[in-house]
Amino acid sequence: MEQLTSFGMFKALQERIVSESCPEIPTIVVPAGTCGQASGALELIRAAHHHILKNNLQARIRIRATGCHGFCQAEPSVYVEPFDTFYPKVDPARMKDIIQAALEGRTVEDLLYVDDAGGERIERLQDIPFYRHQKRTLLSQNERIDPLEISDYLKIGGYTAFAGLLADNDPARIIEDVKRSGLRGRGGAGFLTGAKWEFLARQADGKGKIIVCNADEGDPGAYMDRSLLEGNPHSILEGMLTGALATGADQGVLYVRTEYPLAIRHLNNALRQARELGLLGKNILGTGFHFDISLVKGAGAFVCGEETALMRSIEGKMGEPRQRPPFPVQKGIENKPTLINNVETWANVPVIFRMGVEEYAATGGGEETGTKIFSLVGKIKNTGLVEVPMGTPIKDIVFNIGGGQSGKGGVKAVQTGGPSGGCIPAELFDLPIGYGSLAKVGSIMGSGGMIVMDENTCMVDVARYFMNFLKGESCGKCFPCRKGTQRMYELLDDIAAGRGTPGHLDLLEELALVLKDVAMCGLGQTASNPVLSTLKYFRDEYLEHIENKRCPAGVCKALIHFSINENCTGCGACVKVCPEKAIKGERKQQHVIDAGLCSRCGSCKGVCAFDAIEVR
Amino acid sequence: MVTVTINGLDVSVEEGMTILEAARFIGFPIPTLCYHEGLSPYGACRLCVVEIGEAPRSRLVSSCTYPVEEGLKIRTASKRVVQARRMIIELLLASCPQSKTIQDLASAYGVRTQRFKQEYEDCILCGLCVRMCSEQMMAKAIGFRGRGTERSVGTPFDIQSDVCRLCGACMHICPACQLRCTYNEPEKAICNACANLRPPCLEKEQYDDMMCYMDPCVACEIK
Amino acid sequence: MNPEHIEKIIADHEGRQGAIISILEDIQDLYHYLPEEALRMVARKTGQSLVDIYGVATFYKAFSLKPRGRHLISVCMGTACHVRSAPGIVDEFTQQLGLRPGETTEDSEFTLETVNCLGTCALGPIVVADGTYFSNVKRTDVKKIIHKARTGAAGARSGRDERLFPVDVLCPLCGRTLTDAHHQIENNSSIALDVSFDGKKGWIRLSSLYGSTCRESEHEMPPDVLVSLSCPGCGRNFPEKLNCIECGAPMVPLEFQGGGVLYVCARSGCMSRRISLDVPVLRAETASARQA
Ligand SMILES: Cc1cc2nc3c(=O)[nH]c(=O)nc-3n(C[C@H](O)[C@H](O)[C@H](O)COP(=O)(O)O)c2cc1C
Ligand code: SF4
Ligand code: SF4
Ligand code: SF4
Ligand code: FES
Ligand code: FES
Repeated sequence: MEQLTSFGMFKALQERIVSESCPEIPTIVVPAGTCGQASGALELIRAAHHHILKNNLQARIRIRATGCHGFCQAEPSVYVEPFDTFYPKVDPARMKDIIQAALEGRTVEDLLYVDDAGGERIERLQDIPFYRHQKRTLLSQNERIDPLEISDYLKIGGYTAFAGLLADNDPARIIEDVKRSGLRGRGGAGFLTGAKWEFLARQADGKGKIIVCNADEGDPGAYMDRSLLEGNPHSILEGMLTGALATGADQGVLYVRTEYPLAIRHLNNALRQARELGLLGKNILGTGFHFDISLVKGAGAFVCGEETALMRSIEGKMGEPRQRPPFPVQKGIENKPTLINNVETWANVPVIFRMGVEEYAATGGGEETGTKIFSLVGKIKNTGLVEVPMGTPIKDIVFNIGGGQSGKGGVKAVQTGGPSGGCIPAELFDLPIGYGSLAKVGSIMGSGGMIVMDENTCMVDVARYFMNFLKGESCGKCFPCRKGTQRMYELLDDIAAGRGTPGHLDLLEELALVLKDVAMCGLGQTASNPVLSTLKYFRDEYLEHIENKRCPAGVCKALIHFSINENCTGCGACVKVCPEKAIKGERKQQHVIDAGLCSRCGSCKGVCAFDAIEVR
Repeated sequence: MVTVTINGLDVSVEEGMTILEAARFIGFPIPTLCYHEGLSPYGACRLCVVEIGEAPRSRLVSSCTYPVEEGLKIRTASKRVVQARRMIIELLLASCPQSKTIQDLASAYGVRTQRFKQEYEDCILCGLCVRMCSEQMMAKAIGFRGRGTERSVGTPFDIQSDVCRLCGACMHICPACQLRCTYNEPEKAICNACANLRPPCLEKEQYDDMMCYMDPCVACEIK
Repeated sequence: MNPEHIEKIIADHEGRQGAIISILEDIQDLYHYLPEEALRMVARKTGQSLVDIYGVATFYKAFSLKPRGRHLISVCMGTACHVRSAPGIVDEFTQQLGLRPGETTEDSEFTLETVNCLGTCALGPIVVADGTYFSNVKRTDVKKIIHKARTGAAGARSGRDERLFPVDVLCPLCGRTLTDAHHQIENNSSIALDVSFDGKKGWIRLSSLYGSTCRESEHEMPPDVLVSLSCPGCGRNFPEKLNCIECGAPMVPLEFQGGGVLYVCARSGCMSRRISLDVPVLRAETASARQA
């Protein structure tokens, strides 16, 4: 492939790609990110290839393997262009029907998505409630490109915004525009991106400046960054190129967590392609602008998402945070001024310039602009990635998009912000989502994890879970963080085990407040949030555990016991799954659980179709 | 020179100083555990926290690592600061009650009980020994290992390091345990037992009780 | 442990930013753990002190200083999986294998570990056995997963034969078929190519099964050389197009009757494949080369 050495060549290539793209040929799109592959997307692609090769259909139909589209619940799924037909949970054996129908411009009726509420079949992707209530400026690109093909990204107008800015060569203007767009960092703290860029731009040249894409995504239960890295790697490169142009950085680093092997492959491939085309490296598009990006893998440490720890990790050291000041823009990687932005922040940059600053700034609610991707998971019907404008009320996300609770119990709370965030009770679901509003109720936006909890989720157990996570992920440098998280875990464990006293709650609160104050880095400073927010909104659950030695949600093993009521039909399903062989009974007779043998694993409850297993 | 306000007092101090240095220079005491004049500041024990800025946006920072800035308002013993220090001391007592240094701190701050599960650990991971070894002894024989609750100090693979100079500086500087530094100076030893032994801690079980963190103990290696 | 391997890894990362972590990652990929001798060697060769390297090796969760089992089972303990009963799954593995997370069975068959989130939260609880993802895992599935891992079925392909169909390809230069019905691999006709490397020339046969990377060749190939592949019919070298997603080496295009390309990586140790059934602009050169 030829290097592009001028704007003219870039334009010509892009035009050639568009003109030769034949949009009228039907395309079978299969989301095959990690989640798609885990649910069998590769089987679908294999079946499609088989059918096409066997019947020599190459010229009449296309196959595109893409990143995640967001509706993970429905995977493995198929989406057909240009008809927008959507088929959830596709069996590989039905691929030939789907292909045949696409060739004839039909749909396969019995494979269409059926809406639970209405009961009717919905044909087009954008009419499905899960998609209808979203605004998918970032995620909708995923459907349209094969992440392994730079030509696909160019086809949808990729790199055009950057090429235009490079031609204008007005860094100050870029920064001004990013500021005006109102874009805030999507990594958690919500710092104004334009302002951050300005700090870097103002640093003296000479030593060289570094910009970093923080793709450590350590928040368990959040995976929107993964979907962008896997599904649209070039948009991140384009964002970083724009950032480099604006700030005068000559070196970029992608810091990717090692748990994302597919993302790493796609990024390496994207870097290679961009270099080959001359969009990265020396003398980009013949303008004399230099910038290249290297990829550094993390090695499994949540704290490395923190900026100063991340820099150390990139330097090949233990990922221990350090005290600020000096800030990374003053003294970063190898003492060079360094700027760190989150994956989603970088991916938003080309969008701003492609859609126009004014329009971008008009999206969202007031001060907070643009869209944000959330990973909606937990006890919710439609799990997946949802992208909504800032300022969307939580209830819209949970009920309109998410379709409400998945199980029998009603939704009790959502947890946002991961281990640094808090639980927001259902009473506050009118709250518009935003950095400020979430902070006000004791949680944080974080990177966008949104875990739905229902009546069967115990809030003491949730707090205990996060504390267990944090005590292992604290770097261990600050004494109060290392010991404080351990001690909070011990106190919560006592409460969950029925050993709690009112004194436990006081001590817990006292310790949580001090840790917030004294810790060195964001991990320790926010480690108390899961405890403080559950104490604030669900104190009665704590008190039940302490005073009545009862776990209302039926989770804390020491405080519950299982029994079978008269709903039991004697089907024996529970007997088969009980690992302790604790369930006995004649066929068609009410069964009984031997409390002495029962290990309270809950397997039986999971399989009983008659609501006969009681937990008290 | 920069001007800062410490506990209401405007003072002018040298640029580049830390808050701790400035406060001590003026005469305001700030307790420390992981700080040592001859070593680089580390900011790990958080005992030296002070309140900076003005309410409601004031915050706590570790004074040993925070450089003075023009116009900075500093309070070294506000209610918030003292409350935080007392909690840290309570946590220290819960982990390492046998340390004389920690006992002294507790009595200075009137912390008489601790409410957590009592532990008897032999290290608070202040990192003084690690910095001593690398910055003063240029040996880099010991370092941190692991993270979170698993973090510890010691030699790689827990075997005697071939770059250790057996200087004993690490034990001398340790605030968690008075036994370690005393075997060379029997008059200061708490029970004198170690000084009479050669090598000082004969049996493994015994030196576990003596809170020696190195396995095998570097002191034991001095024949 | 082979010192040469370690030396090569260190040389590969010479002078690069953050090299230590990458070096340790590569060593771990090779041995599934970090042998003590390897760490000492890294310290000697890079001039860094052993304490720092040991610190890094123990700080990050991806590294293990203990040898691990042949099969690695990771159970996700991320928040989304936790609220969907992942702890019960860990308990079940613990019972079935007699292991706690982080431990390896005495016969070195299994290592059980917990991870913090694999980014497939919507499908939780998630278990990964030897690289294969199992989603929505229930306690009752655990036995099956262990069995699959033990019999090697977790990583490799399995199940219905429908999936493993053979493909026929042509030389992109002369259009002759490359299918060799006489030389069978995996009970199917093979794809016949010629190969040359290090001054040697000979035949090579690739499995024609979709997705398979099986092959037989006249000369044994060292693991890491770029070979030239050519058509036994017209004798010309295939053009090199596209870079391999796995290793970045060039790939050669073999064509399907009726359109589309089967790319084969030209690096001996990789030779992975990629199928593309449409021919957009950046890949069009192949077609035009043939017309010319
Ligand atoms: C403990 C901890 C973990 C973090 N993890 C991440 C992460 O995984 N990804 C991320 O982008 N930011 C993470 N952050 C936030 C980053 O430190 C930083 O604020 C962010 O990358 C800045 O980019 P932004 O301005 O684009 O948001 C974390 C912060 C803390 C304190
Ligand atoms: S607050 Fe916790 S994670 Fe952060 S530096 Fe201190 S010990 Fe490490
Ligand atoms: S005795 Fe050894 S470990 Fe301790 S400071 Fe001296 S050289 Fe370092
Ligand atoms: S051994 Fe002593 S000096 Fe070293 S880190 Fe532990 S408490 Fe500090
Ligand atoms: S003395 Fe400052 S943090 Fe320890
Ligand atoms: S929480 Fe298990 S995959 Fe994310």
